[in-house]
Amino acid sequence: MGTRWTKAAAMAVLLGVVAACSPGTAGGSGSTEDQGGPVTLKVWGWRQEDVAAYKKIFKLYEDKHPGVTVEYVPYKNTEYDTILKTGLTGTNGPDVAQLRSYGLLQPLAAAGSLVELDSTVPELKEFSSDVLDGARSDRDQKVYGVPFAIQTMHVIYNKDIYAKHGLSVPTTWAEMTAGFDKLKAAGVVPVAATVTDTWMLPIQQEIFGATRYGGIEQRDRMLRGEGKFTDEAWVASIGTWLSTKPYWEPQATGVGYDDAKAQFASGKAATFPGGVWEVAGFKTANPQLNIGVFNAPPAPDAVSQKTLVPGFVDGSFGVSSKTSNQAAALELVRWMAGAEFGQAFTDELQQISPVPGVTPKGEVLAQAVKDYAANPSPYLTYAYFSAGTPGAWDLASKELSNAVLGKVTPAQAAASIQRGVDQWFKPKS
Amino acid sequence: MTAAASVPPARIQPVRRPSTARSVGVQLLLCAYAVVAFGPILLVLIGSFRSNSDLLGQPIGLPGSAGLTNYARAWQTASLSTYFLNSALVSVASVALCVGLASMLAYGLSRWRFRGGAVLAAYVIAGLMIPAKLGLLPVFYMFESAGLIDSRLGLVLLYAAGGIPFSVFVLMGFLRGVPPELEEAALIDGANEWRIFRSVVLPLMRPAVAAVTVFQFAPIWNDFFYPLVLIRSDEKYTIPVGLTRFIGEYAADRGALFAGLVLALAPLVLVFVFATKQIVAGLTAGIGR
Amino acid sequence: MAFCLPGAGLYSAMVIYPLLTALVYGFFAWEGTTRGPFVGVGNYLEVLTRYPISSELGAALLHNVLFFVGTMAIQNTIGLGLALILHRNPRGKRFFQTLFSMPFLISPLIVGYLWSLLLSPTFGPVNAALKAVSLESWAQPWLGEPDLALPVLILVNAWQWIGGPLLIFGAALGGIPQSLEEAAQIDGARPWTLFWRIRFPLLMPAVGVITVLTFIGCFNVFDLVYALGGTSGGPGGSMDVLGLLYYRTAFRGGSNAIGESSAVAMLMFVLIFGVALLLERLLRRREVQL
Repeated sequence: MGTRWTKAAAMAVLLGVVAACSPGTAGGSGSTEDQGGPVTLKVWGWRQEDVAAYKKIFKLYEDKHPGVTVEYVPYKNTEYDTILKTGLTGTNGPDVAQLRSYGLLQPLAAAGSLVELDSTVPELKEFSSDVLDGARSDRDQKVYGVPFAIQTMHVIYNKDIYAKHGLSVPTTWAEMTAGFDKLKAAGVVPVAATVTDTWMLPIQQEIFGATRYGGIEQRDRMLRGEGKFTDEAWVASIGTWLSTKPYWEPQATGVGYDDAKAQFASGKAATFPGGVWEVAGFKTANPQLNIGVFNAPPAPDAVSQKTLVPGFVDGSFGVSSKTSNQAAALELVRWMAGAEFGQAFTDELQQISPVPGVTPKGEVLAQAVKDYAANPSPYLTYAYFSAGTPGAWDLASKELSNAVLGKVTPAQAAASIQRGVDQWFKPKS
Repeated sequence: MTAAASVPPARIQPVRRPSTARSVGVQLLLCAYAVVAFGPILLVLIGSFRSNSDLLGQPIGLPGSAGLTNYARAWQTASLSTYFLNSALVSVASVALCVGLASMLAYGLSRWRFRGGAVLAAYVIAGLMIPAKLGLLPVFYMFESAGLIDSRLGLVLLYAAGGIPFSVFVLMGFLRGVPPELEEAALIDGANEWRIFRSVVLPLMRPAVAAVTVFQFAPIWNDFFYPLVLIRSDEKYTIPVGLTRFIGEYAADRGALFAGLVLALAPLVLVFVFATKQIVAGLTAGIGR
Repeated sequence: MAFCLPGAGLYSAMVIYPLLTALVYGFFAWEGTTRGPFVGVGNYLEVLTRYPISSELGAALLHNVLFFVGTMAIQNTIGLGLALILHRNPRGKRFFQTLFSMPFLISPLIVGYLWSLLLSPTFGPVNAALKAVSLESWAQPWLGEPDLALPVLILVNAWQWIGGPLLIFGAALGGIPQSLEEAAQIDGARPWTLFWRIRFPLLMPAVGVITVLTFIGCFNVFDLVYALGGTSGGPGGSMDVLGLLYYRTAFRGGSNAIGESSAVAMLMFVLIFGVALLLERLLRRREVQL
């Protein structure tokens, strides 16, 4: 059969003369029709656990806008980016979509998949510039989404377990680790760390390491080009985080996100270092759980002597440039920039709304907002160094995983991140 | 392939009477592997009848603490029935289309001499070695312009096309072993090509067609990659993609998760238990040759 | 030839044409989904030199090779062994064949989730079972150790696909003329000699088919690794394979994702198709010699 393969290959190449078909030629923004009749707006998102809440929230909107139906269509968190990327490129996509913030937003904005909102959503002028950073395109400095949530990161703890062992919220690093020691001796896993789902690693590094590298000041130095990930303080912050390793589950290297959450929710672990967005899920999984949040006090040799609270803009709602209901979609995102949506969002979903003037009702959330407002710290790799390829967040996920496993030293991990970022990052003068 | 194995498979008797001790050893070995092969499935099956807190507290245990409540929860909330229907629809249609086209193609290639026939055969069979999934992005944009995104028809066309090389390979191998006399007789009787194909060749090929059908079915039923990218709406998801969504939502509810897995596995297992014969026959007819 | 057209047409449109299009895509710079200027081999240079994808390519390729070698050594050897046993002890053959092949029916994705639940160090039954029989020191974070993850992947994959070699070798063994085996036995051949001198050479066609199929399967693997180790390929990327790398470049890449992932796709295509052809030829030549 030998030569036949060659012939077949030749034939395949011949057929190939048909060549290039270019995607993305059709489409465009057809916003002309559907002004009068009933409209269904599809809102895509990555929060499958929030479907019921969004139904309630959008009911408020539907009641005031007869003829408009708003449907929240969620996808699996880890697959959402893929699905959205393909969804925004053509037919059958969303009208409005939850967009990731900062770096992950950039390819979508650059591809022209989204409608620019500066001119059409005047409500955005009320938002702070830091918050709008999360929805801004690096290329044209325009805003492409209405931010819907600020996420803060904490050591989420089980109040009952802490009380049972006579522990209170630590005010110093030593007090925190002494508490962990006591829990460990009592047979409780002190820290439910996630290791195999590597996207959780930069989060945990911020939670325990932010004070060590100093937060906002380091960010500003790095944005100006005066600082790097390889700076002593940032490298050391990895070590600070890793110094909590003795308090993780003995075989933590095999523990994934779902397992770690189950450990905390079932009361086997005393704390879960993670985002405030987990709180609602913990309460659903175990309604008896008595949850509180604290933040890691300044670590040994910390650059910042404040108890920093890392936070970031989680995402925004943007309008697809391919939607056939552009006017209705813009109307909806304008509403999302207002107080009615903001309050409903924070009440129903127990998350922090960035809409000015909205305050959360829950005790945990209120405290998170208060602490964050007092001592904010950036989510450095994710928010500010992931606009190019490769992004610092991807690199950090990978390298911090290597560091946990002992395959690289913190210095090598930082060097790898910096090497990747150096290929595209240009300091802001 | 070679002529070495073209002798029809004879029923082989054990060549040597093994001693009793040895026979027991062999049976033990087989049973041990059976535990390895089936144990995990059994754990899931048992787990599906246990309550969530029971599962989290005690990974191994006896069924019973939950009864059928896990199943009720999984079935009601996960729209598994919709996913089922979609998988069944897509798999049956793709396999039917694939086997239909491949039978015609295999018949044409093995029974009719025409210019370029050998090259065409090689061109099609080369597909066995082509990683077709690497064409995903172009497929995506092609479907986009043809309105086949979020369409089950699109999936059917892709799967059918992807299965053609394997089917043609097996069917041609089978036809090579079937003498063309019957077809020649029909030709003399004045039947046209289509009629010969339908009333003479297809019935002849039945064992091989059955084997190909069974073989194509499972991978299509199980495929995750194409629907992940090409299907958007929940109501069009097939089982694997639907299940990832389910797994995401129920990560903390192990009981319901296990019940969902069992529900997703059951139909294929049933099909398979009844079709082992076809699979073995098909392998002997096609690949083993 | 009318009978060939529909099948060949569909195959060309859905399998061959997209690959050719991908070849063309790879020569352009892309801005999201808009095609930019022709860049020649620019995308290829980019993926072969830019950090970290350049080093990830090499690592992923190595993992694919190890995965293939490990699968050949474990899955296909055990498959052959079981097929031989069943061939010599036909009692319950159909039953065992069915049972052993059963995992083949489960979607690789579900197999992955299933095993990551089973192997979880916190709530997984595997470690719990080891503890129950006082083998606590054997209990490992199976999917969390870089040195263990790839072997575990090979074993899980073998668990799923053992039915392939089992059935194919079984069919081939059934096709060996009984007279040959009997003649050898009359000549006083020991079972071991019988296997290597008589059966194995006659199994060569089946070995060839299985090698090629295993190669293609191992280099196309995606679902299983995705479910066991996520998109980044497990602890420290120790399970990262080319399929995942392609997926990441295509769907997690920057604005030139189409151009770069098409370049990755073409590199993979040349590798997989080329080596599969080569393997096919080598094994065919070997058959002729015998």
